[in-house]
Amino acid sequence: MPMVSARGLTRVFGTRTAVEAVTFDLEPGQLCALLGPNGAGKTTTVRMLLGLIGPSRGTATVAGIEVPNDPARLAELRGRVGLLTETPGFYDRLSAVDNLVLFGRLYGMTGPLLAGRIAEYLERLGLAERGGDLVATYSKGMKQRLALIRAIFHHPDVIFFDEPTSGLDPESARDVRALIRSLKQAGRTIIVCTHNLAEAAELADVIAVIKRKLLAFGPPATLGRDRTGPRLRLVVTGDGGAAVDLLRRAGFAATVTADAGRGPTTLDLALDDPSATPAVVAALVRGGEGILEVRPLTASLEEIYLAAVGADG
Amino acid sequence: MNPVLSIFLRKELRDLRGNPQVLPGYLILPAMAVILPTLMLALMPFDPTAIAAVDPDLVTLFRLASRDPTLAVFPERERMFRLLVREFVAFFLLMPVILASMSAGLAIAAEKQQRTLEPILATPLSDRDLLLAKLLAAAVPAVVVTWAAVLLSVVATAIVTQVRLGTALWPTAAVLVTVGAVAPLGGAAAALLGIRVSVKAADIQAAVQASGLWVIPAGILLIAVVGRPAARSLPIAFLAVAVVGAIAWWLFRINLKKFEREEILTRWV
Repeated sequence: MPMVSARGLTRVFGTRTAVEAVTFDLEPGQLCALLGPNGAGKTTTVRMLLGLIGPSRGTATVAGIEVPNDPARLAELRGRVGLLTETPGFYDRLSAVDNLVLFGRLYGMTGPLLAGRIAEYLERLGLAERGGDLVATYSKGMKQRLALIRAIFHHPDVIFFDEPTSGLDPESARDVRALIRSLKQAGRTIIVCTHNLAEAAELADVIAVIKRKLLAFGPPATLGRDRTGPRLRLVVTGDGGAAVDLLRRAGFAATVTADAGRGPTTLDLALDDPSATPAVVAALVRGGEGILEVRPLTASLEEIYLAAVGADG
Repeated sequence: MNPVLSIFLRKELRDLRGNPQVLPGYLILPAMAVILPTLMLALMPFDPTAIAAVDPDLVTLFRLASRDPTLAVFPERERMFRLLVREFVAFFLLMPVILASMSAGLAIAAEKQQRTLEPILATPLSDRDLLLAKLLAAAVPAVVVTWAAVLLSVVATAIVTQVRLGTALWPTAAVLVTVGAVAPLGGAAAALLGIRVSVKAADIQAAVQASGLWVIPAGILLIAVVGRPAARSLPIAFLAVAVVGAIAWWLFRINLKKFEREEILTRWV
């Protein structure tokens, strides 16, 4: 059973359709990177999934709870999800610990459990020494880490992160990505809204490109193959023309994409059946070509994203 | 108290202590409400001619005191003092209205501005608990400060009147019910109006301005229609408690009914 499931999710504000007929499923433990330009409907989609705003049409199920639903079920849903907003706010005149105590109580945690979680996560995110300080004295990066704690310290089943590494230095960003990976390994279902394509490529099991409509959805490798078609890239030591001839005789159509004249040479070939890769390699070896590299060729996430968004105009 | 309400209330109180937009009101208004009437009682001449010399308008008050049937049983020199003590109740009715509306006007708007609203709305906190927390956070400090000011004022009045009249003037039962019950309920009603304004506001400036525009006239109306008659008669004071309590309850129901997380999240510049 999917942990997050959207069916025809649509939201209209006045005459403007912010999100149109978005349908997808996420299994438990999957991490989905939600990509799209500013104003594409990412935040609206997340808010609908959280039950914060109602869909104009369509339904969604998150952690087994349907939205929209009655307030009691929505309260249950909100207890099982975590949210990191794009610009996380805190009560600046309270300490980090007091802020977390407040939110922990709102999530139903009390006593030693709450104190233990706060101590554990402050330590984990490197804020233990500053936990008693007013949030007003925190840097942007520290606030971002505190917001991450707030989003996860009640151990939600589903977590929504909006730009989780925004404003962080490279080292902190790396730590946050490691934390997100550990949450995924712990079985949490995660949706990350981001403009950072490298981060999305590194973390995501599933990519969703949204621009009002869901333009692309699937694992990065599948989306990449869909974009380029099944292709193989070969780098050989010898002459490109000889390699192409060898492959043609073996029944494969290859094109030279880079030939320096004295090798190495890069060849791309269309390969409908990936299991034919050993036959390709064998044909080249029999012909005396030295092989430096063989790898399936897929489009980069940037190419996938730009193609999807560009195709939508 | 519900633990969520309790922690929210503590948060709001701590937040209030360092809030430069609201804190001055909590210091200045009570000080004025205690010091000005006490000075007036301390300096008020007994003789109408002398009163006219201080301020001709005060003669009107003196005449009102002379004609007021509820004051007829008291010696003439006491009547003006008793009238003033009774009329000063208006300060203590208006004080929780102003203070609570100031805090309540910022209740939701400030959360929006500091970007804490969405994380709060994304928790399991119910609309009812959030509203109650905001109501208590706005009304409780206002009422506590008002009652403290009333206490100080009562003591100061007793001392001054003991010295000047030879008898200490204490508040009547009607006055006590008015400041003890009508004032807090008025403060609660003002807070609820302020919260509604804050929910609808597109920005914090609009929230504060609209709060003032709506709530201050409502507070003055409360004093004119309910407060002054209540301070004169115990049955009317109890009736005022019922009426203002019903208004506050109705405003709470309206707030709860109209409290839309979606509207709050999307109505913001």
